[in-house]
Amino acid sequence: MRLTPEQLAARTRRNRALAAVLVVFIILVFATTILKLQGNSDEAAASAARQTAAQGQ
Amino acid sequence: MTPPAAAPAVSTAQPEDFFQLLKPRVMSLVIFTAVTGLVVARGELGWLSSAIAILCVAVGAGAAGALNMALEGETDALMRRTRGRPVAAGRVSRNDAMTFGVVLSLFSVMLLGMATNWLAAGLLALTIVYYAGFYTLLLKRRTPQNIVIGGAAGAFPPVIGWAAATGTAPWQAWLLFLIIFLWTPPHSWALALYSAGDYAKAGIPMMPVARGAKSTRLQILLYSLVFVPVAIAPGLTGLGGLIYLAVAVAGGLGFLLMAVRLWRSRAGDQPDKAEAVGREAALYDVRAEAKPARNLFAFSILYLMALFAALLVESLTPTMSL
Repeated sequence: MRLTPEQLAARTRRNRALAAVLVVFIILVFATTILKLQGNSDEAAASAARQTAAQGQ
Repeated sequence: MTPPAAAPAVSTAQPEDFFQLLKPRVMSLVIFTAVTGLVVARGELGWLSSAIAILCVAVGAGAAGALNMALEGETDALMRRTRGRPVAAGRVSRNDAMTFGVVLSLFSVMLLGMATNWLAAGLLALTIVYYAGFYTLLLKRRTPQNIVIGGAAGAFPPVIGWAAATGTAPWQAWLLFLIIFLWTPPHSWALALYSAGDYAKAGIPMMPVARGAKSTRLQILLYSLVFVPVAIAPGLTGLGGLIYLAVAVAGGLGFLLMAVRLWRSRAGDQPDKAEAVGREAALYDVRAEAKPARNLFAFSILYLMALFAALLVESLTPTMSL
């Protein structure tokens, strides 16, 4: 099946838009993961500090 | 029933057509109310997580819109206001629109859950299912109360924003929900009063079609009498401050005045303006006797925006609060 130039151009535009959306999605998932990791490590540090303070008393 | 124009075997849909599936106008109101809920909640969510949360709510609402258009292509093709939509006009196939909606729904809910919490994600999922499933498939064609019950779908965004920020949904969040929920019937029925011909043609039992214009005008007035005190309530319960109270009272009086004028008018008694009126113009270019309906429709949007804008301004400048 041969695509007409119009169909080909529309498909190319859709593919580019899809690629852009996927890149944005990957960035968002990455950013979310980093934020969660940061939150967990902050929590772990706070917990360790509390434990140290409790042992010192 | 007239089927939507057939989509070509090989799609020539443009990215803009898929963007239109997201109902960008509705999405802008969703974003605004969700941002307000998120900011007013005063949670501890960082700016990046907040931005991701709002994006998820916007995309989730857009996905619900895409599912609605996929399911309603045939009906949309019959109405002036909606016949230019991508599925109704045949630019996007029903299956493509459905797939688009389902994929975006899943991604937005999952990402919102990951970025914030699963209460917010659950509420977003509920909103999508409520709008695309419960409202579009079940309610819309079965009861003239469709917009009353279905209006809940549009009222969830500030609750989702609040839940995203704090992980909870307290009564203040549900008060914002109630404002939008009670705002929806007068707003939608005012529009329906001068688009009744379209709804009748599409077989949708909107209130003016099912119960007539006179009953609709009375119900708009009754809902307005309930809505305005609820809209003022945040100003009396500490959720809003002086600015909010001033906006809610002044705008509320204007809203009631317009509802009374509409009740005393003959809006909707005559068929709506001829087919010759353009799709966009049809929203505002109406017969002289339908102008009170158009005025209330337009003012209702302004009033809702003003209420949420006042809350937003007060939250961003806390000294202005009571």
